[in-house]
Amino acid sequence: MKIVLRLILLVALAAAGIWLWTILFPSPEKIVRKRLAQAASEVSFKSAENPLVIAARAERFAGFFSTNVEININVPELGQHNLAGRDEITQAAAGARAAVSSLTVEFPDMNITIGPDKLSAVADVSVKVQAAGEKDVYVQEIKFTLQKIGGDWLITRVETVRTLS
Amino acid sequence: MTLLRTAFWVVVCVVVFKLLLVHVRVDGISMLPTCPDQSVYWVNRLAYVRHAPQRGDVVAIRFIKMDSAIARLEPPGVMLLKRIIGLPGETVAFVNGRVLINGEILDEPYEKSGYDWNSAPVTLGPDEYYVVGDNRSMPPEYHTHGKCERSRIVGKAML
Repeated sequence: MKIVLRLILLVALAAAGIWLWTILFPSPEKIVRKRLAQAASEVSFKSAENPLVIAARAERFAGFFSTNVEININVPELGQHNLAGRDEITQAAAGARAAVSSLTVEFPDMNITIGPDKLSAVADVSVKVQAAGEKDVYVQEIKFTLQKIGGDWLITRVETVRTLS
Repeated sequence: MTLLRTAFWVVVCVVVFKLLLVHVRVDGISMLPTCPDQSVYWVNRLAYVRHAPQRGDVVAIRFIKMDSAIARLEPPGVMLLKRIIGLPGETVAFVNGRVLINGEILDEPYEKSGYDWNSAPVTLGPDEYYVVGDNRSMPPEYHTHGKCERSRIVGKAML
């Protein structure tokens, strides 16, 4: 009985050790996943905000992207939209916040592939968007390309993907 | 003994309701009148273990393509619900609101909207299915439809 208890304790300790290791030293995939979830959370808002908060949060959202980021969105409901650089992202984010009273952005599914150099990543993500007053939830597949720049994973490219070709 | 029995039923419930059956709620009108907006269905993930998807099946399709079989075990957070009209190797076209499979008109008793879509013929690869919603009353560019790889099909909706 003592041996069994010791064995259980040993297994529990090993599991706790592995868990602690993953917390202290997360894999690049986990970091990218967390980073994208933070970006989604940053662009979401629940109620109308004052212009100062809008500007600050739009600026913070742009911080998730590299300075030379390219965004190509092409969906039937919105048409073709291209953005380049952080300034255009800041303006677009601030414009969206001013235009609608609430917006919820979530990434329910992610498939992240880390490059062999461990400094680049591609994330295929399903993006779920719901704006205030809209009954329907909008879902779109989007491909994010990220690079590790100055220790941070930054989004360098965003493009829409046609799920059914 | 009670603890063991409880643990057993917990495992059974997790396996059944997490891995074998996926719960979906329809959000939108693309599958009208078969699947009304906000209706709830179960998706059987074992439906295509012993045979390939069939024409006419309503299937759940994952947005994100997962490369590994292990990653595909995790049920997707969002899915498309569509009907299979074209099977691997077939040529699918829309002509004046009728579906042509290899040049022959497909009988679609579930389609009630009356539509006028036209599209160039599309030939499916050995691992591809053509999926479309039952409600085709909107212009085709506003209706998500097209070729779908087998690996994206999560399972068959239990209607």
